[in-house]
This record gives sequence, structure tokens and C-alpha cells, in this order.
Amino acid sequence: MTLVVDRPGPGAPRPYRFPPVVHLPVAGGEVVAADLPGHSLAVAALVLDAGAGREPLSREGVGSVLAKALEEGTEARDSAAYAIALESLGTDLSTSIDWDSFQASVQVPVDRLPAAVGLLAEAVRRPRLDPPDVARVRDDEVTSLTMFWASPGPRADYALRADIFGADLRHRRPLHGDPSSTAALRVSDVAEFHSTWFRRPGTLLVVGDLSRVDLRALGEAAFEGTGGDSVEGGVPFETPVRTDRRIVLVDRPGSVQSTLRLGNTAPHRSHPDYVPMILSGIVLGGAFTSRLNHLLREVRGYTYGIRAEYGLSRRFGRFVVSSGVQTAVTAPALVDAVGEVARTQVEGVPEEELAVARDYRAGQFVVGMQTPGSIAAALATLVVHGLPDDYYPTLRSALLAAGAPEVSAAAAAHLRAQAMTLVVEGDAAVIRDDLVATDLGEVVDAEV
Amino acid sequence: MSVTGFPWPIETGRLDNGLRVVVSEDRGVPVVAVNLWYDVGSRHEPDGQTGFAHLFEHLMFEGSVNVPKTEHMRLVQGNGGTLNATTNPDRTNYFETLPAEHLELALWLEADRMGGLVPALTQETLDNQRDVVKNERRQRYDNVPYGDAWLRLLPLLYPPGHPYHHATIGSMEDLNAADLATFQAFHRSYYAPDNAVLTVAGDASLDEVVALADKYFGPLPPGPARPPAPDGRAVAAGGPAEETVAADVPAPRVYLSHRTYPYGSPDYDATTVLATILGGGRGSRLYQLLADGARVAQPDNIGAYGVDLAHAPAPVIITASARPGVSSGRLREAMDEVVDGLAGGVTQEELARAKALLETDWWRGMSTVDGRADLLSRYAIQFGDPAVAARRLPGWLAVTPAQVASVAESALRREDRVTLIYDPEEAAR
Repeated sequence: MTLVVDRPGPGAPRPYRFPPVVHLPVAGGEVVAADLPGHSLAVAALVLDAGAGREPLSREGVGSVLAKALEEGTEARDSAAYAIALESLGTDLSTSIDWDSFQASVQVPVDRLPAAVGLLAEAVRRPRLDPPDVARVRDDEVTSLTMFWASPGPRADYALRADIFGADLRHRRPLHGDPSSTAALRVSDVAEFHSTWFRRPGTLLVVGDLSRVDLRALGEAAFEGTGGDSVEGGVPFETPVRTDRRIVLVDRPGSVQSTLRLGNTAPHRSHPDYVPMILSGIVLGGAFTSRLNHLLREVRGYTYGIRAEYGLSRRFGRFVVSSGVQTAVTAPALVDAVGEVARTQVEGVPEEELAVARDYRAGQFVVGMQTPGSIAAALATLVVHGLPDDYYPTLRSALLAAGAPEVSAAAAAHLRAQAMTLVVEGDAAVIRDDLVATDLGEVVDAEV
Repeated sequence: MSVTGFPWPIETGRLDNGLRVVVSEDRGVPVVAVNLWYDVGSRHEPDGQTGFAHLFEHLMFEGSVNVPKTEHMRLVQGNGGTLNATTNPDRTNYFETLPAEHLELALWLEADRMGGLVPALTQETLDNQRDVVKNERRQRYDNVPYGDAWLRLLPLLYPPGHPYHHATIGSMEDLNAADLATFQAFHRSYYAPDNAVLTVAGDASLDEVVALADKYFGPLPPGPARPPAPDGRAVAAGGPAEETVAADVPAPRVYLSHRTYPYGSPDYDATTVLATILGGGRGSRLYQLLADGARVAQPDNIGAYGVDLAHAPAPVIITASARPGVSSGRLREAMDEVVDGLAGGVTQEELARAKALLETDWWRGMSTVDGRADLLSRYAIQFGDPAVAARRLPGWLAVTPAQVASVAESALRREDRVTLIYDPEEAAR
């Protein structure tokens, strides 16, 4: 047997190209589209400036309840008829809410797109919102959140968020609310959120074989009956900076793993350090061979996986390390994880590791953007953050050009190993003494 | 046939050592998907060696003669690619998608671990990945509510000795007991060119791929005769089976399950359509009757789906969770009734809705080169011909109401039903 010993080099690189972006102002709103010739499926997504960031504090979760209530019947038909009409086109109404936007989308064979966008608009713009239905959806959402919160993770994330965003800001609380905040919502809160934020035109994204699509007609359907101006997104929040490191313990009796959520505040999405910052995050924990996964999984065998990432939105950001580690090794795993963050912050990032991060991230522009759905998600980022049409080629070039000194500087500026909040959700009776003994910081119990 | 589920070219080749090569050229994207299916899954594992196929999937990323430990991942991701592997009862697959200029790198890496893993496999690596797999089990099955449902359903569905009786994650005791030599023997047996299919989809031609495959995989010898997996096609009816678990769960949940037909058969196509009518979307029977109508089930936790296994009657799994105040018994009765009702027939409207949803699902799967490559590997391994993949979508679209009713009547009978119930432990936390 003669395996080839030498690793082959690359062939000729293909040029990078993001599909041309089309803008079409229609009926007070805007259609933003990209052409993917030959694709049998097309995606349409309505993007509204109605993210969780628009929810009043103490009304968190109202957008999520509204998103589900949209399908409980429209002015034109009841919920069963609506579901059957939409699903008979081959799609569900996929809704999502993040800090900066609400999105509702449909994905269908391209010839069914007009009918699907018509139904999308019917639910988003003209839902029935009958009070008994809204109350039931709210109660169901409480149950659904209770189910979700029974899994490891949500409570740890809650504790981290509460600890790093000290002030009384909406993002101190969970993105989708929690069982008790949702239970406290009134039916009128849901209707009010709709009338305030869902009647502005917003943006309709369309991705697919545009030779078979009438963008104007789709825009007219999506923006019919809307009005009002767009509202300023708001300036970035002043983010509080913690000066000490602490361990926040969330008790989960009997847990066979400890869930780790380690983090601190970070700049907002439009910060000039965006490129070097995310590259430093990949070196630390964004790829399989990243420092954290290498040490905790491949060397120590403590975990199935560990990752680090920056979560960045219009007005704030945060850096988070996430993992689940075997209960018995919780303390040494925590020490190792903090150690890798500190090493990256203090010593910076050598070119050899940076090269992997750079090419990995740049490759995602081709490997990760093949489908109408992924291109639509890319367009949504342009819309939400007000980025130019040539953003992706420019970003890709910037990523490929980033050097070790600037990435190391971003790591030094935005990682804060000495002042992180270390949330551990696990069997407190088993792990508490070990955590205290690590000397990583004061151990406090979370009120979750 | 007027409709095809695969309107891209499919070309095939075969190396002298038995490696089958499938290529589906698509110059529309500057990427290549490289996909290998090995015809080995947990169905091949004898007693006392459960979990081996899956642990082996981990070991395949840990270095081979010319690729040091961790280099495989670093080289793929560090050249802009994504990669992973999965193991199920039927097979093990390995796949990476890269910018097209790195096709040759991917084939070199795959050939090196197909032909050169054994000399590089160390006790240290084995011990490390055994720990990682134990953590995978904790994370996926042991530490989440209802996480072990699949582990409990399989032995209720398939008798001891059946190739689907045990779960792919396997027994930690079996993994602990195995030594390095056993794993080396496992590799020699199953990781051979004549037990695999290599598919490349995307920005590459057949000639190019075959030439490169020949260069890197060509020198590998065919494998020895392999012990076949036990034949699981006939499953003796064991009567209804039931298990009730008191666990730390937030609400009662019921799983109903049946053995149906092997993936790829016309009856399984009807089963796929039936499952969508029953539990796919808000227009499904379970949603309309139990979440919206009787309001005994939580709307967000309803589902019915077939598990697409090809070597024995594949399971269909039907699940719902109880609304607050509803007991598992009441939910279970309501679900039994809905499932029993299918044998009474379905409407054209229900059928059309299900087919439309399945058609979108199909094209969504086909919208990436990675999705296409995995599909072609599957059909080459399981049906001997990748072109058969084109028949699946037309197969779904051809299903009639009578076929759905007939499948419901023969495969979803109460006397064959497997029921798994979770009740919250009384001791509140």
C-alpha cells in the first residue's frame, strides 16, 4: 500500500461573488432582492424593526407571543383555514425575533411565491388577535418556555445576562422572556406591540430565480395598508464594565454535567474592531481546533465541545464561552477555560492560528451561502445594520487582510479574563467546594 | 416519469479496488462537497461491542499516517471548509464542503484515513475519545428531559438480536471493555475501498474526480471478507409494548411508535406522507385535533416522523406533550384515537398539504451541494445506484389516499403499538 505522503496544494482559486443586490422602493416600503438563477425554491422574508429591543422592560416576551398569535386567524380566515392554505403551498410561516428585528418568512417553489407572500402579509399585517386566542397563546408560550427552561442552558444564560448587563435595560433579561415575565403579559400588550411596530412597512427580502418573480407585485402585497416612518435604531448603550471576576452558581440537583456560560460585555455590531474581534473569537473558540476545544475536548476529554463567540447587536454585544462538562471535572474545566481566555488576551494570537481562523471565516462566504435561505439571512444583516450592497466582498477582503498585531490588540481590548462572570449550572452540592477552591473568584448563588 | 427529484447530472465510476465514485457536477457554485458513506453502522455491532461504529467515527478525526492528530480538522477548516461525520444504525458518513480549489486536499485526507488509520491509532487517542463520547452521551441523552426516549424506544420496537435493538451511542461498559486491537480490527474490516462510496458534488467534473480518486485511493487494497450484519427484515410481532418512566421532566409526554417498512419502499413513501398528515405543521391531524381542538397537547411539542432506516422495517415516531392539568393517560388515549383514525382514510386536501410540505423539504435538502452528495452516497450504498435518488420525490407525490389508509391499517395496528410515557416525578425539585 502506498498512500500519497505529501499534502497536495490548492488549485486555482475561484473568484468570490455575492449575487447583485436589487433595491426596489414600493408602496412606502422597500424590496431588497438577490438573484439565484436555476433554484427551484424561493424565499421571501419580511423584516420589521420590531425586535426584542423594542419591548418595554417588564413586557419582555411580548414580541414572541405576538409572533405565535399571528397564525391564530386573520381578518380573512380562521386559524385552521390559514394553516391549511399556507401549508398547501408547501411552507410554514417561519417567524423569528432577535434583539434588532422581527422576521417572518416563507419558502416555496418559486411559482407559489406570490400566494405565499400574500398569506404572509395577511398574518403579519391583518391578524385577528381575538383576546381569548391571544390569552391562550400566551399561556401556551408560558408552558413552552417552562419546557425549554427545564433543559440545561436557559437558566445559566439568564444568570449571565443579569450579571453582566447590570443596568435596568431590556437586554438584561432573556431574549424571548421567561415563564414568569410571559405569564404577566396582558392581551392588550400584545395588540399594542402589533399596532406600534407591525404596521410600519419594513423591508421585504426576496431570494430566488428572479426571472420568474414580479418583485413589485410582491412588495405591494407586503406593504399594503402600512404607514408611518421608520424609527431610529438608537445609539449603542453604555455598557457597564465589571472589575472583578465571580462565579455564579445555578443549582441543578442531580445533573451529570455542568453547563458553563462564561462571559462579559462587548462592543456593538458596528464597532470598528468588528473584524479583528471576531477573528480573535474564532482563534479562541470558533473552530474545532480552536484553543478551548483543543484543550478541553481533545487533550483533557472533559467535554463533547466548547465554543466561544461574540454575540453582537445594534446597541450592545457580549462575549460568551459555552460548554457542558462532566460534573466531576467542573472545577478543572473552568480553570482551563479561563486560562485560555487569559492567555489569548495577554499573549495575543500568532499568525499560524490566525491563518486558520481567517480562511475558515472567509470560506463561509462561499460554503455557507449556497441557498436562498442563507442569502436571505445575509440580506437581512445588510438591512438591519444599514450596510452597503458590496458589504460581503469588502468584509471578506478585510478578514483576509487582518494581521496578527491588530487581532492581538482586539483580543487585549475586548477579552477580560480577570473580570468575567463565570456561570456554572450544575449540581451545587457536588461542585460548590471545588469551585470555591479554584480561587477564580467569589462564588455566589444565582437567583433563578 | 414526468417529475424528477434530481435534475442534476449523475456520473459514476469504479476503481479497481472496488471504490465506487459518484460525481454530480454543478458549476453554479465555487464549492465542492466530498462525501463518503461506509457501509458500517451500529447494526453490524455484535453483542458486547455496541457503540463501536460511533466511537470509530470519532477516531477517524484523530490522525492517520500522514496526517498528525488534529490536522484533519485544521486543514479543512483552515482552508475555508466545513466538515462532520455521523453514525446511525445503517451506516457511517463523513463529509466536508470546501472552496473548489481544495478538492484534492479533501481526497488526500479521506484516503489517508481510509488506508492509514491503524498505524496512527494510539491508546491515548482511544482513551481521550472514549471520554468525549461519554460526554456526548451525557449531553445528548442523560442531561436533558426526555433525552433517553430513543434509547428506550428501540428495545421496545426490536427484539434482542435484531440489528436495530441497540442504540448507536452504545453501552459505555462495552466501550470501556474494548482494547486498541479490537478497534484496529474493526477498521481493517469495514474501512476498505470496496465497502465505501465516494461522492463529489459541485464545481468538479467526473474525469477530474476519478483521476484524483485513482491517485489517492487507488493504491489501497480491497478489504477482507466482512461479516454481514444480521438480517433484520423480518421482525416477529411481539404484541403491544409499553413503558412508563417517572423522570425529572416538566410535563407528561407520550411517544407512540410502530415498525413500518424499510426506507426506499413504496409503502415507506406512503408512511412518510402519512406521518406528515398526522404530525407535520399546524394543519396536521395531531395539531388540529389535540392542540387546537381538544386542547390536551402543547402546540409546540407535537410531531410525527419516520426514521429513514433502510435495512429493516423503519420506525415511525409520534409524540405529544400534555398541556398543564392533562394527564399522560388522557393524552395517550387521545393520541391513540387520532392514530387509529388514519385507517378510516384521509382527504385529498390532507394529502395535497402533506405533499406540498414534503416537496419543499426535498428541494431544501437539494439546495446545497452537500445535501446532494449525501443523498447520492446513500442511494449508491443502499440501493446500488445513485440515480434511484431521483425517484424519491415522485414516489411521495404518487401516494394515493388508499395507500395511506392501507399503510395505516397494516402498520399502525394497536396490537403492534409501542407506547412510551414520561410522567414528572412526584418529588418536586
